[in-house]
Amino acid sequence: MPTITKAAQAEKFVVPIGPQHPALKEPGHFEFTVDGEVVTAASVRLGYAHRGIEKGAESRNWTQNQYLLERVCGICSHIHATAYCLGVEQLAEVEAPPRAQAIRVLLAELERVHSHLLWLGVAAHEAGFDTLFMYTWRDRETVMDLLEQISGNRVNYSVNTLGGVKFDITDPIAVDILEGLAFLEERTHHYLEVIENDLMFARRTRGIGIMPRAQAERLGVLGPTARASGVARDVRVDAPYAAYPDYPVNIILDNACDLEARFIVRVKELFEAYRISREILATLPEGDLVAKRMPRRIKPAETIMRVEAPRGELLYFIKSNGSESPERLHVRTPTICNMASVLTLTVGHNLADVPMILVGIDPCFSCNDRGVIVRSEQAAGDLWTWERLRQHGIDYYRR
Amino acid sequence: MELVRNVTALLIFPGGLFLLLAGLMYQWADRKLIAQLQNRLGPRWFQPIADAIKLLANEEIVPDGVNRLLFVGLPVAALAGALTAALYVPLFGFQPAFSFTGDLIVTLYLLSLLTLCTGLAGANTRDRFSLIGAVRALTQLFAYEAPFMLALLGPAIVAGSWQISEIITTTHGSWIVLTQPIGFLVALIGLMGKLEMPPFDSPEAETEIVAGALTEYSGRGLALFKLGRAVELVIGLTLITAFYLGGVGQGALEPAFFTLKSILVLGLLALMQSLMTRLRIDQTVGLWWRFGAILVLMQWLVLIVVKMVS
Repeated sequence: MPTITKAAQAEKFVVPIGPQHPALKEPGHFEFTVDGEVVTAASVRLGYAHRGIEKGAESRNWTQNQYLLERVCGICSHIHATAYCLGVEQLAEVEAPPRAQAIRVLLAELERVHSHLLWLGVAAHEAGFDTLFMYTWRDRETVMDLLEQISGNRVNYSVNTLGGVKFDITDPIAVDILEGLAFLEERTHHYLEVIENDLMFARRTRGIGIMPRAQAERLGVLGPTARASGVARDVRVDAPYAAYPDYPVNIILDNACDLEARFIVRVKELFEAYRISREILATLPEGDLVAKRMPRRIKPAETIMRVEAPRGELLYFIKSNGSESPERLHVRTPTICNMASVLTLTVGHNLADVPMILVGIDPCFSCNDRGVIVRSEQAAGDLWTWERLRQHGIDYYRR
Repeated sequence: MELVRNVTALLIFPGGLFLLLAGLMYQWADRKLIAQLQNRLGPRWFQPIADAIKLLANEEIVPDGVNRLLFVGLPVAALAGALTAALYVPLFGFQPAFSFTGDLIVTLYLLSLLTLCTGLAGANTRDRFSLIGAVRALTQLFAYEAPFMLALLGPAIVAGSWQISEIITTTHGSWIVLTQPIGFLVALIGLMGKLEMPPFDSPEAETEIVAGALTEYSGRGLALFKLGRAVELVIGLTLITAFYLGGVGQGALEPAFFTLKSILVLGLLALMQSLMTRLRIDQTVGLWWRFGAILVLMQWLVLIVVKMVS
């Protein structure tokens, strides 16, 4: 009977993932329509961890903002501060000394090591391979300890300052870093071997979530996710910043386009990070750590700063108006660009592959969360004034 | 006298209290071994017992839209099935409390009761994770059950009997694992599938479907299911040890020796659990039917031919 067929079509089995779900380390809401075990449609709703940082930046001065922006992301705190400092230095026409630039790059690469090792552990956990998870996180402690030794902090190292860096790399620290890198390099060889040769693990990654090069370019994915699809896109190579012109990066590409390629690209980037770190330690330029003068007020201007975060291109737009704080500041993190690929790639895959494909882009939710969608009871698409939005917030939290 | 013996067997030893405690201790050993293999500390020895007591004391929330009788009854049935199965197996190297012809088949069916109850419990709720978990649990049941059973029937053919007490006495002293290595391996992996241990934990894969079929369970129901699984771990290990690793003899030291062997098998299980990545449910089914079942059947063929010749 036609009515039954119609009813059966309308009755979809939707699996909600999030906002609270063991697969997600941060809040996000996904809805996967499944037919048995196979995903037929996917949708996402983000914005659960929107913190109003961009708006907050407008009421803080240039120096205070650095501490605020370091807290955009808990994993890549240094790269956010680097992007901000480089942008503000550009606006103020101040240049950080070469030693400071080199230390910035060194820290960025150490941060990439910590981020990629963290990711490898999380990805292994999503695949149900907890042994690899435990081992990578144990080894990650090495680089965390190094970061703590340099700056005194494990997460928000706060190495940058406007016009330079706060901490110097002394000889004893350099020796410790080299020692730590040697240990990590040996371990990374082992992990690469596991990823490439472990048959059980390869069953969950090989040929899963294939994103051909053309599709990757169309979806505009960034970072290792793009490089695993053969798209040569890396800000460190395309538009070198800080000390990257002096320490060129070999771009890591893989043409397999599947989940395994994303694993391999990230692990190979670890080797590249070790190499760059060693090179910087060997040829660290002498000189000051901070530029001589950094103005408190910055004349009206605007700039865009692009840097390569562990997850891909991070973009900062900064506009000054001659006062002590920015007129407007905008952050675009790589996860927001990569999110569309998750929705496209999961369709047609098993439900069991969904967490793997999601983790394949190395998602970082709270840093991509932006404007809250206020679902109005009234007509759709009406524009809220600032006063009304503010009143809504007050009323909402009064309950 | 007969009555006292029966009640003791049911409530204290080997069934009942002692078995529950032993199950929890085996579970602790399993967790501790895996933790050590993964470079973690692992839980303290009383952790599983404390968990069980805490869960039993917790409030049991019965969600909307379930059949109340089934929701409360299924965990009881699952644990009862596992405890009943214990009466027919040589726990810790003691002769089975009860025995009759063909009790091997009955025991294996009683062991499946836990998975069946888990599946039904998941299907009983309206939770979407539970429903998927239930489908996966039952799919997996159909995948491993036949090869597991065939693997345990291998020693039965050698002994020429389907009565557990007779099999273990006949095979005492002869380590069948040497002549039937495939059967041993399939039985071991089958037990992992039965207990939903990694890599066969897709019915309760937390990164996909939270806690699978038991997502809606809390308090007593969850505790009973967990206890049932702990008991099944002991029974499964006992069966494999008794069938493949030299049967069960009489001597005074036999229980200690037997327990040691079963703990060694548990160590093997822990090693396999920590080495492997979780399989997708379609991969699990493929693995069992494409490799497990065929390998065991080949071994059966060899067994039957050898038996006919000799």
